Order: sequence, then structure tokens, then C-alpha cells
Amino acid sequence: MSWLRMYRILVLASIRSRMQYRFNFWFSTIMSALVNAVEFLMLAVVLLRFDHIQGWTIVECGYLYAILTLSRAIYRSIASDVHHLERYLLSGDLDKLLLRPVPILLALMTQNFNLRFGELLQGGAILVLCMAELMRQGQIGWTAIAPTLLAIGGGAVLLYAIGLISATTGFWLTRTSVLQNFTEDAAKTAAQYPMSIYPGWLQGILTGVIPIAFANYLPALYILKGEASPLVLAGSWAVALALTGLGLLFWRTGVSRYHSTGS
Amino acid sequence: MLFLTLARKTYIRNLQFRASHLIQNLASAIFGFIYISIWTGIGESRSLGEYGLAGMISYVAFNQCCLWVSGFPTNGLGMEASVRSGQIAMDLMRPVHLFYHLMSKEWGQIAYQFVYKFIPIYALYLWVLPLQRPASVSAAAATLLALAISGYIAICLHYLIGAAALWTTESTWLVYVNYAFSMLLSGFLIPIEWLPGPLAWISAYSFYPYLHYVPTRIYLGMSTVDLVAGGLLWCAALTLLCLLATRLMRHRVEVQGG
Repeated sequence: MSWLRMYRILVLASIRSRMQYRFNFWFSTIMSALVNAVEFLMLAVVLLRFDHIQGWTIVECGYLYAILTLSRAIYRSIASDVHHLERYLLSGDLDKLLLRPVPILLALMTQNFNLRFGELLQGGAILVLCMAELMRQGQIGWTAIAPTLLAIGGGAVLLYAIGLISATTGFWLTRTSVLQNFTEDAAKTAAQYPMSIYPGWLQGILTGVIPIAFANYLPALYILKGEASPLVLAGSWAVALALTGLGLLFWRTGVSRYHSTGS
Repeated sequence: MLFLTLARKTYIRNLQFRASHLIQNLASAIFGFIYISIWTGIGESRSLGEYGLAGMISYVAFNQCCLWVSGFPTNGLGMEASVRSGQIAMDLMRPVHLFYHLMSKEWGQIAYQFVYKFIPIYALYLWVLPLQRPASVSAAAATLLALAISGYIAICLHYLIGAAALWTTESTWLVYVNYAFSMLLSGFLIPIEWLPGPLAWISAYSFYPYLHYVPTRIYLGMSTVDLVAGGLLWCAALTLLCLLATRLMRHRVEVQGG
């Protein structure tokens, strides 16, 4: 509980610091929303032209996209600078965090707190529109709302775990951007589309190695298509929590190996 | 010969990171496989117009290679960092124009990316995909010309983005916005004739098609070299904008004490 309180205090301090530059804050918020809107437009343009991809309509793909966007926005809001650990390792700024009387991961998570307002708004709007259309078509009912929220939460935890593990490799490799290209960027791009379009080896990677399929595709198979067991939601959470546990252990080992760049 | 000296120095500096960049190529190739899978999924049950499924695979694969010429120059040509450190004041004082200076350095970066990223990914795709080869030597030469124009346009765009660092600390976002629009309007994933009306119109009257659509169409033998004329006009217009931006930067820059 005291950790949560500490997290809240540090986040508030971070927000106060960011709001000293109000123009920059709103500029980055609007630009982030614009980038996401254009990304979704690209997906929508392809689907509008060709109606569906292997049985997945534009509305269903919009649902996949919205779940992923919201999960990612929550993860990047809550733990923004975990993704940017490389920067701290290269500059030696991690030393400053080590000196603070709070757990180092908590200190890192509260640095440069950035509520991804634009992405949350855009992802939320797409989700509401897609779910409303699916309800109108009778494909889903109101009962789909609770599992959808569960899927978003599980997705956020899973993306956090993947981000944490990728960033932690920086304690050995220093440069992590190339790995993050695989584990975060490529995986995210792939997960915007239904997994069934990918060849077997890629589906295997996206389910077993970088298990991003658990963030949106597998829950959607149950929620939208009824092609999976309800246990898939519990399974997604189990994978997310297990990976987070693994990530925290890996983090602890990584921190113990940390060598400062010096000054 | 300042141009060659600056370009060569950037090229040589990059050589130190060859091993790391080879791993990056794998990530880039996987992105390409993702986009190819999308078109394979769509093309299995539908006609893909004049391209056909094999043509679309070649189209997307070649565009993925082109990214390393026109898609990933140094963010803002590194100007954001020099604005933050104050180095920009020194750069503006040099006896060579800032645009020419940064442009020359960036050509070294693009040349490196062509040799160590474009060519390896292209070779991989030639090996594992049914990637179409250029129809003739003249088609290959025309493609190289179109690629050079796309590289120059990308340099100008990143110069303008870098210049914005004098007005906001968040200019990096403009890199992402430009990239997102480029993905949508340049014909990177979907040929521009398949974009819906308003987007097709915006794309047709913008410089974006010269980044991907034109080089790839020429490569596939679907368009002739005449198309690059529009790209040359955009190069001229963007150069003028860059020169104007430099003039504004000179008024804006504040020299740090210390």
C-alpha cells in the first residue's frame, strides 16, 4: 500500500514538472493521438478496400486494434520510462535513481509520467464504435463488455512484462533499441492484424516467444468469434502475470549487474 | 569536395556498428514479412488488380527495402540534440550553409544504409520470396535515380523537422507524425490508386508518392522514368523551404552563456 502511495506522490511530482512546459505537453499529446489515428487509418483503408482479411471484418480488426492501443497506452502511461532504460544506462542517469530511498523500478516508472491521453481517447472511441456495431449486428451482447475490460487489463500487464524484460537486457547489452524493435514494435504491428494471416512460424513466435497474441487476438477469438474457451481470458492473465514475475526476477538480477558509466 | 568529405566521414563512423545493424536488418525483414502476410491473406481470395498476388509481394518487399533510403534518415538530422546542447549556434556560424552541411553528412548516412541495410534485405527477399527483378538495366538505373530523389526529399523533410526543435522540445513527435503520414500516403503498404478519394487526392498532390510509390512502380516496370520529374520539382520546392527555415532559425537561435 505504501508503494502505491509513493507511486502516486512521484507521479504527481512528475506531472507538475511536465506541466511547467504546457505547450510541449499538449503538443506531444496531440501528436501522439494523430500518429495513432493515421496508423489506424492505414489499417482501415486496406480493410475498406477489401472488406475483410481471412474472415475478419473491419469492425473486428478495429476491435483488435483498439484493445492493443488501450493496453499499450495504459502500460506506457504507468511505466513510461521503463521503455527508455537504455537512455539512463548510456547517460549514467540510473545512478541518481539508485540513490533514492525508493525501489529503483518504482522510481524509473514514475519518471516523465506521460498520460497517453490521446491514445486512450482514440483507442476508447474505436472500441466503443466497433463494439456498438458488433452489438447492432447481434454478434456480441452487453456481456462482452466485462471480458473486454479484462482483456485490456491483461494486455497492459503483458505488454509491461514484455517491455520490462526487453529493457532489462540493457544491463548486459546496454543498447536495447534493436531488441525492442523485435519485441515491442514488430510484435505490436503484427498484433494489429488477426494472427491467422501469418505463416505458422510467425504465429509460433507471436504466441510462444513474444506472446503478444494473448493481449488481443486470443481473447478476441473467445469474445467476438466464440472460437475459443472462456478459459482463454484466465490463460491470458496467467501468461501476463507469469511473465511479469519472470521480468521482475530478471530485473533484480540485472540491477545487481549494473555498472555505472561513471562521470 | 566538402560534400564528399562530410558524407564519407558519416559513412565511416557508421561502419563501427555494422554487426548491430545486421541484427536490425532482421527486424526490418520481419516487418516486411508481416506486411507481405497481410497481402497474402487478402490476395488468397481476391484479385489484386494489375499487381496480382506475386506483384503485390514484390511491391511490399521492395518498399520495405526502400525504407532504408527514404524512411529512416537521422531524426531531424540530429538538430534536436544540437539545439539542446547549444551546438546549433556554432553550426550556424560555420562558413558553410547549415543545410548543405547537414545534407552532405546525411548522404553518408543514406549511402551506408543503402549498402548495409537496403542491399542485405533485398538479397534476403530475393532468396526467400518470389521478388521480381528489374526488367532491364535501364529500369534499374531509373529506380536508382528515383531512390536518390526519395532520399533527398527525406533529407529536406527531416531538416524542416529538426528546425522545429528551436520552437518546441517535442519536435521528435513530428518525426513520428511524418513517418505515419508517409506510411499512409506514400503507397508504402497500399498503392495510392487504391486509397479512398480524398486520401488519394492528398497523396497525389503531395511529395509522399516519390518516397515509395514512384521508385517501386519504376522498379516493377509499371511506370516509366518520366514520373521522377514531379519528384525533382518537389526537391526544388523543399530546398527553398529549407533555406527559408534556416533564415528563420538564425532569428530564433539564442546563444547560451557559460
